[in-house]
Amino acid sequence: MPKTLRVLYSAFRMSMLHWIADPQWVIPNVIAPFIYTFVALTLFKEASGPFGLYAVLGGGMMGMWGNTLYSSGFAIEFEKWQGTLEEVLAAPSNLLHVIAGKSISNALFGLTNMVAILLIAALVFRIPLGVTNPILFSFSIILTLLSVSSLGLIFASAFVLTRSAQVFTNGLETPIYLISGSMFPVALLPFWVHPASYILGPTWGIEALRIAAGPESISLTFWLNIAIMLLITLAYVAIAAFLFKRVETKCRRDGTLVQA
Amino acid sequence: MSLLRIFVSSAVFSFRAQFSWLNLPMWLAMKFTMPLSAMAFFVFVGQFAGADVAYIAIGNAMTVLSWNTVFSVINITSHDKWDGTLPLLLATPAHRLPLFVGRAMIHVFDGMLSVAISFAYAVFFFGVNFGSADVQALILVVFLTAFTMAGFGLLIGGLSFYVRSPLVFANIFTFILMVFCGVNFPIQKLPQPLQIISYIFPLTYGLDAGRRTIAGATLTDVAPLLGQMLIVGIVSIILGYFFFISFEHMARKTGRIEAV
Repeated sequence: MPKTLRVLYSAFRMSMLHWIADPQWVIPNVIAPFIYTFVALTLFKEASGPFGLYAVLGGGMMGMWGNTLYSSGFAIEFEKWQGTLEEVLAAPSNLLHVIAGKSISNALFGLTNMVAILLIAALVFRIPLGVTNPILFSFSIILTLLSVSSLGLIFASAFVLTRSAQVFTNGLETPIYLISGSMFPVALLPFWVHPASYILGPTWGIEALRIAAGPESISLTFWLNIAIMLLITLAYVAIAAFLFKRVETKCRRDGTLVQA
Repeated sequence: MSLLRIFVSSAVFSFRAQFSWLNLPMWLAMKFTMPLSAMAFFVFVGQFAGADVAYIAIGNAMTVLSWNTVFSVINITSHDKWDGTLPLLLATPAHRLPLFVGRAMIHVFDGMLSVAISFAYAVFFFGVNFGSADVQALILVVFLTAFTMAGFGLLIGGLSFYVRSPLVFANIFTFILMVFCGVNFPIQKLPQPLQIISYIFPLTYGLDAGRRTIAGATLTDVAPLLGQMLIVGIVSIILGYFFFISFEHMARKTGRIEAV
């Protein structure tokens, strides 16, 4: 197995083992998306239109984001608490690959969260959830998952330098739900928020998911959303790689890792 | 005098303790961004669904106090466990009642500050009209809501002594208020059996009283609601204190202070 994949797999496995050892930690990650979806479905109950789709897909995307953000924040925070961050940083493996493995593992939990939200919507709220294009829908989910994970990587690099990762994690959850238009069209937001919306991969991902799940046939708009999301994701990975290198060098040079 | 001193020092130290992991700029950033993002998210969802935006904005503006009075108060128990201060707390000869109740008290005023900021957002960003509001009555309603919700926080905080990670409880009980208390939609929209649960939360009465006061009701008009809320809040404090005392008794008897 190539070295990078081995590191990714080990970090992924370690993260899974941590979760199995203490599964209660999944609750803080999933509670907000569940509650937000419940509230949205109740608000949409008397409205006619594609509202159920917005609420459910939005809730699913929020689940992925919640998990990823927590994994990015807590991946570093847990290593600090356990006193293992120094060892992780001193290992010859790239820190970016370690955090990426953890992020993918947590985003996967987010995916299970999405499935749970879909099931609750179908069984409790009786929302019809016939997906028109299951293959393109699954394809969009995987790409959105990767996009969300790579955005988490950027935050994770900054979290190495701060003692307040937990605060950032709590503070960043809802703004992303809001700015990405997870449960309503971005057009409803004030125009000065739009640039922030459009540099978020999940904004394009959720739009692609809506098109793939909705009754309309797949148009150029779908592929445009996918293409833009891919470009943004690649930019996130490049920025994260650059930031991790800088942060790692700074920590090694200044010897401030434990103080941070 | 001694009881009052214990009460005041417990209040001050419990509030200051959170700055061991939170710095002032971060606290201010959270204070101003979290209420806006949560309120804006639900306002836009409501706007998309054609719901009453003012109802949602006021509901979220007042619910923001639960982050201080429920989440932060439960989190005191969490920090007592994680930071190793629980044995010291139980070793002190101080009277338990002012020690236990005092720890939530500055969070009451912190919660009121959060509500004031949120009301300003409701007016300036979402056009909520406070023109008919009885301001003095509204201040009293917000104070009593914060106080009784702190009582609810103490109840769950007291119960949380028995679990390993009170933070999980803090997350659950902060978010489920959004479903049960009429924050974004009237509780009558909930299924009948769930509506009964709404009345165990002081916030349900506080939101109703707050909305009525903003619409022009006087203190006399909302007095019955405030009375019911006070009863629920005081019962919560008594139950929370009972859990705390029982936990202490059990911890001393079995020597399992931190093993729980």
